[in-house]
Amino acid sequence: MKISSIRGWHWHVVLCGAVLIQLWPLFFMLSTSFKSMDEIFQSTLNPIPAVPVMNNYLYVLKNFPLVQYIFNTFFIAGIIAASKIITSILAAFAFVYYEFSHKEKLFNALLLTFFIPITVVMVPNYLLLSRLGVLNTPWGVILPQLADAMGIFLIRQAMRAIPRPLIEAGKLENAGAWVMLTRIILPLIKPSVIAMGIVFFINSWNDYFWPLLVLQDKSRYTLPLALQMFISAEGGSEWGIAMAVAVLTSLPPLLLYLSCQRFIIHTFMQSGVKG
Amino acid sequence: MNLEEAEIRMASHKAQDQGEQILSNDAYIQYAAMIKNAAKHWRRTFCEAGSIWQPVVFLTPATLVLFVFAYWPLLQDVWLSFHLWNMISPAMKFVGLQNYFQLVTSAEFIKIITNTVLYIVVLLLVNFLLPYLLSFMMAHLLKRFSFFYRSALFAPSTVSLAVASILFLWIFNPLAGPLSILLSAVGLESPRWFKEPVLVVIVIGLIIGWKVFGYNLILLLSAMVDVPKELIEAARIENASDWQLFRYIIVPMTSSTALYVFVITIVFGLQYVLVPVNMLTQGGPDQGSTNLVYIVYQYGFVFFQTGKAAAFAILSMVIYALFLMLKTKVLDKKVHYEN
Repeated sequence: MKISSIRGWHWHVVLCGAVLIQLWPLFFMLSTSFKSMDEIFQSTLNPIPAVPVMNNYLYVLKNFPLVQYIFNTFFIAGIIAASKIITSILAAFAFVYYEFSHKEKLFNALLLTFFIPITVVMVPNYLLLSRLGVLNTPWGVILPQLADAMGIFLIRQAMRAIPRPLIEAGKLENAGAWVMLTRIILPLIKPSVIAMGIVFFINSWNDYFWPLLVLQDKSRYTLPLALQMFISAEGGSEWGIAMAVAVLTSLPPLLLYLSCQRFIIHTFMQSGVKG
Repeated sequence: MNLEEAEIRMASHKAQDQGEQILSNDAYIQYAAMIKNAAKHWRRTFCEAGSIWQPVVFLTPATLVLFVFAYWPLLQDVWLSFHLWNMISPAMKFVGLQNYFQLVTSAEFIKIITNTVLYIVVLLLVNFLLPYLLSFMMAHLLKRFSFFYRSALFAPSTVSLAVASILFLWIFNPLAGPLSILLSAVGLESPRWFKEPVLVVIVIGLIIGWKVFGYNLILLLSAMVDVPKELIEAARIENASDWQLFRYIIVPMTSSTALYVFVITIVFGLQYVLVPVNMLTQGGPDQGSTNLVYIVYQYGFVFFQTGKAAAFAILSMVIYALFLMLKTKVLDKKVHYEN
């Protein structure tokens, strides 16, 4: 008993070290964003600002179209998450409740797109979007991300967990496909659909690379993209301001995570998610 | 024809026995009633032999998007890689395999491959080995606080890589950053992390590591807790050491998930590198932080040599395909198992 408790204590130290490494940068980001310029350089390591100031946030609010950035990010992430959910539900429904030839082959082909690297799609998709005339618009970011292979996979798994008798009953009653889907299946898989929507939203909110390729006008930037402006060639010195924008960018995902972490961890556990 | 209430109850009990506690008994009955009502209003046959158009309609949106934006580019890359083009001019010159030859014989090719391998080593250490060991600790060596550790360690995974990049640029700042202060406290001088050839790869690997660590950890943790408790207890009774427990029970029992995480660490890790490299180094110093993924961006959107970018893209796809084959096999097995 004694030995095992000592042994446990040993592992707790290791894990607390890991927690410190993982969480300290986040706290550091938060505290720096509330420090004045002097304090940032004179008491860098101080975890809590001696005199918390809002200057950094006010500066960003005054000199940058911050509300516009937040709206842009929200718009793009919202539409992508909603669309991924809808297209995934429809496709998963077809895969679970219909029989047709080459079903497995099609499913595998769709699933495989999850692993096609961004290097492959980068140039051709850019050219396609430019031909469609949607470069430098939110739609250029949204269009390639309207569907998601992992979404289809996970919703298919959720649908398969629905007890068969419920579905058989629907068939016997001659319920139409749309009724089956919206009245019977969706209410049953609602929790996983919502969790997945949140995960999709977080991933699109955080996305940096595709917006970087598509959006050129500063007024169209998303928050992660706007961060890039606060890095000067020499490594920058306006750290308080940069950290303030970083905090604002991280806040929605972190709050979503804190408010429903069980759901989110569960969804992440089942999947591999890019971004 | 209606389903008997008893039958529904039975189904519900069965589902609950299997741990699928989706609904209470009453809710099951309620749903059965709903089905009846719905059917009264809607008499179209579900899944009738002639209704092939129905799955087609449901599948079209996702299939269209994924084929147009994932498979079509693959074909287009092959075509582009045989041409000389700057993305803007209307003239496109066919040059056969010239892009590929120039690519493998260039001096930077060795550098790109070396960097890529170095990235893979760092990523495997931070995002595979470390979470593997820690998830074992959390699942089998600790009795308490496992939930707290999981939540805390996962938090950075919800933060954008752009945020991580700018945050660590400040943390690693060699003049005034917190790390340099800590280093000078013990009498060391901070290196210029983002300007030194090998260091820059390690630091960028660590930035990715910070973000992805928690995600890989929970993937591995889910496999760790699935190892039957009886096995662990039996081993404990036999006085097996922690190491023996790990080596002879945990490693074999978690191998398929471990392999999956191993592969995604490499496949996705190299893609994540795009963000910090683009924000912090643009591939520098002297191409010291570029890799097989970032080079495609450089050729495509910085040097405007579309043909070469496509050739690099095809090359990366070939290398990835080896991992993907491994991965698909594992995933198929998992899917099969879950059914």
